[in-house]
Amino acid sequence: MDESNHQLEQATVLLLACARGDAKAFQRLYRLEAPRMLALARRLSGDPELAEEALQDTFVQVWRNAVRFHSEKGSARAWLYALLRYRLINQHRRAKRDDAEALPGDDWPDPGPNPEQCSMQSDQRRAMQECLRGLQGDRRRPILMAFYQGFTYEQIAETLAVPLGTIKSRVRTGLKGLQECLRL
Amino acid sequence: MIPDNQEEQRLLIAEYVLGLHRGEQAVEIERWLAEDEQAARQAAYWREHWVGAAELLEPARLPPGLWRRLARETGIAVPWWRGLWQSTPAWRFASAALLVALVLAVGPLRQPAPVYTVVLQAPGEAAQPGWRITVADNGDLQLTPLAQQTDYRADRSVQFWTLENNAEGPRSLGLVEPGRSLVIPAEQVGGVESGQLFELTLEPPGGSPEPRPTGPVLFIGRAVAL
Repeated sequence: MDESNHQLEQATVLLLACARGDAKAFQRLYRLEAPRMLALARRLSGDPELAEEALQDTFVQVWRNAVRFHSEKGSARAWLYALLRYRLINQHRRAKRDDAEALPGDDWPDPGPNPEQCSMQSDQRRAMQECLRGLQGDRRRPILMAFYQGFTYEQIAETLAVPLGTIKSRVRTGLKGLQECLRL
Repeated sequence: MIPDNQEEQRLLIAEYVLGLHRGEQAVEIERWLAEDEQAARQAAYWREHWVGAAELLEPARLPPGLWRRLARETGIAVPWWRGLWQSTPAWRFASAALLVALVLAVGPLRQPAPVYTVVLQAPGEAAQPGWRITVADNGDLQLTPLAQQTDYRADRSVQFWTLENNAEGPRSLGLVEPGRSLVIPAEQVGGVESGQLFELTLEPPGGSPEPRPTGPVLFIGRAVAL
């Protein structure tokens, strides 16, 4: 098992321990997951203070509601990221829109002639990275803006100066491509 | 409105997980996901896969005070004096007494304000502090000698370690020159929490050949929040 998978399983074990009121497990979960969650929160909010506040609120929510986590429905990491993303998306308007902000995956080259023929990997997380690589840049970019920056269709269209209908079409085509690639 | 077409439903879930639906539309989708097991499973698959995209981000350095605020808000923070009383070894108790004495002796603290301090003392010699550590609110750590230190062997190195948790084991913070102050930047220190263990050990020249201490402990102490 590689380090990343080990950490993923460790996070799930720690979150289950949090549900039993184990404060030390909560601290270890924070140490393990908070650094990357903070990076994601900064991307989503565009504001370091809002990001810290959201991270803190999310972990308070995690401690109080850890019993609601069910490991059979997914990993702790997916649960944590979802809590953080929805909190930021629903509660905060992004402080500023920065068209030039580089996103992970922005610099990937466009795929060859058979973009949707990517091979499925057993690891779901790596599969997503591979499938995103397989998308054409004009489909990948708006999807990444939604994921990392929490942009709506309207914000993406405005930021990229592309008609709203075109953006919706590109995102939906990109999502269909991901769906097929991930075999969802 | 939730579409009847299955392909449209799947796309709607993908859009929802990505955060593209807000307000009433999002509430309607959430209600649907709560009732439709297959749709909920589809959403869970998407969330699991998106972890892969989040993992492309470089982890950020955590602000030193964030854990303290979180511990206070969740009610799991233990007052430092209670932590010391619950730690039975006498040197821990002595740490608290020495800390008070040192703070009084040093006088007003300079900027940046320290948020943690540690008194390192020789094991079993609680009355003889050897070094003091202060961790500033920007996360930088300063190690300062408190006593004349002449009895180190010249052919050995003194190495500085911290132990954040037993599962991960000790982590080296580098070599220390006896009697000389040292500042370690926050990036290298990582986060410091109350009760975190620090120690200096005597190692072969150039430091321990292992990723853990191999020589005797010279000084040891635990972080106390100020």
